[in-house]
Amino acid sequence: MKARIVVVLLFGLLLAGCRPTHDDSYQPTPYELPQPLFFPSTNNIPDDNPMTEEGVALGEMLFFGTNLSPLTSHPSPCCASCHHKEHSFEMGPEGTLENLGTTHTMLPLINLAWNTTGLGWESQVATLEDMVYAAYTDPLEINADTSEVVRQLKQSDTYPELFRKAFDTDKITFILVEKAIAQYVRSLVFANSKFDRYLRGEEQLEQDELNGYMLFITENGADCFHCHGGGANALFTTYLRYNNGLDAAIQGEFKAPTLRNIALTAPYMHDGRFTTLDEVIDFYSEGVQYSEHISPLMHHVMQGGVQLTPQEKQQLKAFLNTLTDTSLRGTK
Amino acid sequence: MYHCNRILTKMKKIALLLLLLVSMMNVACDKPVSNGDTEIHISYTVNGHDLITDSLCYTNAAGNQFLINEIQWFISNVTLIGEQGDEYALGKIFYIDTNIPESQVLSTASVPCQRYTSMRFTFGLDREDNVTGLFANPPERDMFWPEPLGGGYHYMKLNGKYLDEDGNLAPMNIHLGIGQNEDLTTFYQNYFTVELPLELDLKQDCVNAIQLNMNIDNWFQNPHIYDCQTYGSAIMQNQEAQQLLKENGHDVFSISSIDHNMEKIVSTLKDLMHKAAPKPHFYTKKNMESLFADFFNHNNKE
Repeated sequence: MKARIVVVLLFGLLLAGCRPTHDDSYQPTPYELPQPLFFPSTNNIPDDNPMTEEGVALGEMLFFGTNLSPLTSHPSPCCASCHHKEHSFEMGPEGTLENLGTTHTMLPLINLAWNTTGLGWESQVATLEDMVYAAYTDPLEINADTSEVVRQLKQSDTYPELFRKAFDTDKITFILVEKAIAQYVRSLVFANSKFDRYLRGEEQLEQDELNGYMLFITENGADCFHCHGGGANALFTTYLRYNNGLDAAIQGEFKAPTLRNIALTAPYMHDGRFTTLDEVIDFYSEGVQYSEHISPLMHHVMQGGVQLTPQEKQQLKAFLNTLTDTSLRGTK
Repeated sequence: MYHCNRILTKMKKIALLLLLLVSMMNVACDKPVSNGDTEIHISYTVNGHDLITDSLCYTNAAGNQFLINEIQWFISNVTLIGEQGDEYALGKIFYIDTNIPESQVLSTASVPCQRYTSMRFTFGLDREDNVTGLFANPPERDMFWPEPLGGGYHYMKLNGKYLDEDGNLAPMNIHLGIGQNEDLTTFYQNYFTVELPLELDLKQDCVNAIQLNMNIDNWFQNPHIYDCQTYGSAIMQNQEAQQLLKENGHDVFSISSIDHNMEKIVSTLKDLMHKAAPKPHFYTKKNMESLFADFFNHNNKE
């Protein structure tokens, strides 16, 4: 009897020895976030989710739903169903409130590693990790059951190994899904537009584009820079919220979106009411509506806007078009 | 002979003792003066009261009714000056923002414990410091002043609104920085130096607090009346308005040292009275008096 027990124990030990051992020396490869000219030196990478090459790669696969079957009957089985690369990770012209069924349009998912003031039009979500959770569970977005997501990932042929590489664990949780996708979104750095190349002394702007830039950064011009940056703020947003006089009935404030890739991100404004950049420029020129709630930085509200001439409007648009970065992944 | 030796030994002892005494005296004389920590507490007054933001309850010298949403500004080259004219730097550049309560207390350098008779600082940033790219991160970065307009940073953004002739709340933005002529070929440095008398006996082992107050009324008067109706809200490209405000700035600021014992008493009183201030603010001697009066009235009633 004793001999049998010993044999069973030995066999058990042998089996345990055959299981892959946890390698204490394994470390995912740190991901080097680019630091473009005039971008902030501080970012929103949390201490408990440092970026790694493996984490970003996993996040990219999850973002695009690679090797995953649709999670729900909802037509948005993954992030990329609505966030399209070619539209700065917005939906594009189809992204109207009517089509989305949401109260706000999308915001671009670029250069968000440097957004330290909350996410969403009302800065209502604290972190990118929280944003992933919100997108997965919102009935109007992916509308997924997070435990179902985790179950599918565990059963996958590819994902367990990718999680192991990214987070050095065999245990897949939805928190790790949030972390991986957040890492991928932080890696979406766009800083190689014509204007960036101009700042770096690599390419000259056309005269109309230069004139447009002058309008952009002067109070007596188009007066854009207090909220949308430029010059020493190359993110082209402060990431703060303002009431821009879009509608006298609006009492609240909305985040100033980045103007990088603005030519790719129609429809415009939080409610998508403008379909072209020309309409947006017309609004700031002569369509600003007075209310007591308007930001004091809308200096020209009492004149209805900044009153640009047709030529100035065309120059401003020419400048805004220089902020387009057509590299799909950004600088990385 | 023995007697002589005794005398010599005694003399040696006396000499040694003297040497010891002299060296001790030297040590005492060379002992470095100890340093004390300082803080500068920022406060704002309008129409004789502490500033309350977002409230249309103020009138300036031109008769404009106005409100203030926020004030964001820089002071730099802050220096304490001693009785002998000796100068000690308290800090190079400070960003102050009414939206950021912690920015209202400036932690400054330790300086020798002694009497100080004045404090000097630059309102804004001087020519050497005011260079585009100096600040990489918000909120300082968002003070940038466009390169074609002279570059660098706003010295101050005072954002608010005033009641215009038609009864509308029009924007009122006092944005100060480098001025320009019309064709943007000549630039004007609009920062200025402020030196204010001070009675500060700086002590060790306690935080020596100085209160720096901005009297907002004086931006609008003395020597010039600044009428919002005349200058509108966009003055970054209006050197006339910049110059006028620069000249009005000479008496906008005042300072006083804060009595530490009084501070403790007032904070105890504040706790007792459970006063919930709507906005963080710092007390002045004037409102301390009213605080005392409130306290005693409150106790008498009970």
